[in-house]
Amino acid sequence: MARTFVTMAGAAALTGVLAALSAPAMAQYPDRPIKMIVPWAAGGDTDNIFRPFAAEFQKQLGQPVVIANVAGASGTVGAREAQKAAPDGYTVYAVHDYIHLTFYAGISEVKYSDFEPICLVAATPSILTASAKTPWKNWQELADDAKKRPGQISVGATLGSTSHIFPAIVEKMAGLKFKYVSYDGLAPRMNALLGGHIDLTDSNLTQKGKVEAGLLRFIAIASEKRDPESADVPTFKELGMNIVYEVARGILVPKGTPAPVRTKLEESCAKATKEPSFAQAMKVQGTRVAFLNASDYGQFLAKIDNDNKVVMTDLGLIKK
Amino acid sequence: MLDLLANGLVNIAQWKYLLPLLAGTFVGVIGGSLPGVTITMTVIVVLPFTYGLDPLAGLAAMTGVYVGGSTGGLIACCLLGIPGSPASIATTFDGFPMARNGEPGRAIWLGVWASVWGGLLGAFFLVFLTGPLAAIALEFGPWEYFSLFVLAMAMVAGLTESSLLKGLISTAIGLLITVVGHDPIGSVPRFTFGSEFIGSGFSFLPVLIGIFAFAQIMTDLEKLNQPRGQAAESLIGVRLERFSHLKVNLEIFKQPFLLAWSTIVGLIIGILPAIGGSASSVMAYDQAKKFSKTPERFGKGHPEGIIASEASNNANVSGSLMTIMAFGIPGDAVTAVMLGAMTIHGIQSGPLFISQNPDIAYGIYAAYILAHPCMLLICFVLMPLMLRVTSVRMAVLAPVVLVLCVVGAYALNNTMQSVYVLLMFGVVGYVLVKLGFPLAPLILGLILGDQIEINLVRAIMTDANPWLFLTRPISGLLLLAAAASVVLAIWQHLRHRNRVAEEEPDF
Amino acid sequence: MSIGRDGIAGLVLLAISLVLLVKSFQLPSLPIVPVGPGFYPSIVLSFMATASALLVLQDLLKRRTPAVAGADEGPRRSYGLVVIAFAIVGAYVVLLPLLGFRVATVLFVGALQAALGRPQTARQWVVLAAIALGTAVLSYFIFEKYLLVLLPRGAWTGF
Repeated sequence: MARTFVTMAGAAALTGVLAALSAPAMAQYPDRPIKMIVPWAAGGDTDNIFRPFAAEFQKQLGQPVVIANVAGASGTVGAREAQKAAPDGYTVYAVHDYIHLTFYAGISEVKYSDFEPICLVAATPSILTASAKTPWKNWQELADDAKKRPGQISVGATLGSTSHIFPAIVEKMAGLKFKYVSYDGLAPRMNALLGGHIDLTDSNLTQKGKVEAGLLRFIAIASEKRDPESADVPTFKELGMNIVYEVARGILVPKGTPAPVRTKLEESCAKATKEPSFAQAMKVQGTRVAFLNASDYGQFLAKIDNDNKVVMTDLGLIKK
Repeated sequence: MLDLLANGLVNIAQWKYLLPLLAGTFVGVIGGSLPGVTITMTVIVVLPFTYGLDPLAGLAAMTGVYVGGSTGGLIACCLLGIPGSPASIATTFDGFPMARNGEPGRAIWLGVWASVWGGLLGAFFLVFLTGPLAAIALEFGPWEYFSLFVLAMAMVAGLTESSLLKGLISTAIGLLITVVGHDPIGSVPRFTFGSEFIGSGFSFLPVLIGIFAFAQIMTDLEKLNQPRGQAAESLIGVRLERFSHLKVNLEIFKQPFLLAWSTIVGLIIGILPAIGGSASSVMAYDQAKKFSKTPERFGKGHPEGIIASEASNNANVSGSLMTIMAFGIPGDAVTAVMLGAMTIHGIQSGPLFISQNPDIAYGIYAAYILAHPCMLLICFVLMPLMLRVTSVRMAVLAPVVLVLCVVGAYALNNTMQSVYVLLMFGVVGYVLVKLGFPLAPLILGLILGDQIEINLVRAIMTDANPWLFLTRPISGLLLLAAAASVVLAIWQHLRHRNRVAEEEPDF
Repeated sequence: MSIGRDGIAGLVLLAISLVLLVKSFQLPSLPIVPVGPGFYPSIVLSFMATASALLVLQDLLKRRTPAVAGADEGPRRSYGLVVIAFAIVGAYVVLLPLLGFRVATVLFVGALQAALGRPQTARQWVVLAAIALGTAVLSYFIFEKYLLVLLPRGAWTGF
């Protein structure tokens, strides 16, 4: 009895101390470094986009933003880690469209709605890219050839991820049939494309150098209008297909993060994305700066989520 | 070409480039020598500092990290028996026994000098053969990669003297570890028994550190309570032997073929993407043993083992640099980060890179070459300090090393998951060593497991015809070589069986 | 004919590979991939099962000389210490996320040092404590301040 009392008193005292310790910390967020979970490996596309962002972000926040690459299992390890993190604003989650796909493919239980949106940062338009070892010079030749031999043209893709969904949309809109080969990540896909081991893949403007050297061919870009960096690449809209497919990257925080903290993050994000140096950094990544505030980003996520659900259902990849 | 290289060397020799290079090499040596801190992690740490520098200075610093890290790993190998970085796994096999035999200085300097010569020889290839050699790597489709990996494993399973069967089982265990978790093609959970912990899979690094660090430390602890005098209070004897650098260098150059072949093995593996320094070290070691006149001395402190492993892992760096310079394709995580740094500075990598940015391209060549004397200088300054590690008592060293292992595993993903994996495989590694299973084939299985599966499935997805593995010329040749390698191993094993008594498994 | 250490190891591995082999046939396959996720594991597992069975066979057929029973004579090995060390590391790993890196590391380094070589004098205890504290503080500063690795905070301590 007495022992129970002591234990309880101890626990109460400890709780009190903890509360006292954490209370002032809330008042002046942020007062220690912030961890940004990037669910992909260092040196990848996502990492290359969020590193310059983190540099601008921390200038605005006044505390270091430390990137933690939590890679593995199609980004779902990082997603779980972010979901489990304390909702105190000291863990932010750098996300892209894969979060919707891995959920519907049944790979992970984590859904975009397990988080609170902060802001959309950037969007990278996808480009359908062909190997130089293929005979096609443009979309028409590709489409004609593909109609003649359905299921023969190989497409390198991370199965069930953005690089799979984008060619699948093209396939559906143009009434073609491709054959998919699993290549995780842009770098291995480029390698296989250069060697002619696959015919087509999804890439982006970062591969411009290889196109200029005649090692790859950009067939069409999935943006609203042509990109001035590669003005001779037609958009899918010009070719009569209503396909706009951009990989959207933004910042989320765990559900339950206090509103003042979220506001602070949102404001800092808005300022960070307006920096000219950030725009410059995104340009070399073949990416456009695409800021959306928290509420717009929330609606955007809901829309994208629904779009992806429809595509996944069409492809027969959906598990729930 | 040579005048461009000369320009590059003169350019890099300025303080504004030399200083980052020196600093990078220093950080690389330190990072490489800490078990659990990989070169990848070290280069990521250096990355933010390079944002503020001009592009070449940043790339020079990273090249320094890469070269320094590939060498630094051998220090922990020789003194602690734990690979400081995965790239120096095979250095442990002979470096540690040699150090235990009372020659830690000889073991380390053999490694350092072999690194220097292997690296410089690699530089020769880097400068002159970047274009043509990297073009061959591109011809490797999934069939060729699959066959190449099978060859690598066939070669290494024969490494062990005690039992070929145990070597093969070890390989299979390594492969099996990579199978657990979500499958690499469609992310279907495999063998998870519904557990989220198993579902995340076991990443390479914590498994590697766990198996090596625990097997080593725990085997040492067994001997801690022995009567004083012969007690292994510290890992090696406190006293350092006298050795001469001239003799060490003579030892290396006495066998020019060994040095050249190890360099070429390292180079080829460096050029092929996604394999990395660890495989090159293990494969060069195996090759050295196959060609050696004295294969029975391997694993007991044979200088040839150290030379092969260290020459090849530095040459591996030049191979990776070749691939990234010619095609903008990172061969491993370290060059992936370097590529990231280039794009951040607005430099387009790819086939046009060398012609569009000759200053930077030849600057990187020059930085790679000059990193070697820098590394040598740093080793001269640091080594007396590093050797002091040997005089630390085991009771102090064990906890400190274990803390570093835990931090290293944690830092990999910033999750506790890796730490649990570390501990789990620490137990597994210790038990396997006690049962007499060799660890090297297991590690290679672990490194290549994912890639073998992915390339096998890719090949089938690309073309349903299984005969392509044999009818595609490069792939067919590689598989033939694999079969020959197993036959050779069985023959060697039978020949040695009568001579080599089975020994008590000791690490 | 009697079974030895290798034989038991072989049997255990054989059992594991057979259980997993059955499991690998039950894995669901994907519509667009011609071979299922169980395809490659079943190859590896069949290989492992065969090799393990051979190991058992080899062990059973091996001529054993009874005198070698105490193969471990030589230096006396203290397996007790290994078990204790593993237990301490286990406790460290469990406590790490609860107490936080700094506190748990001080306790771990101190405890393992004491277990491996108990200090006799007060001075040795002070040295032990200094090493424990030093390791924790130094590694914390190096990793957190310079390597930008955020080490675990304690769920109980918040530190």
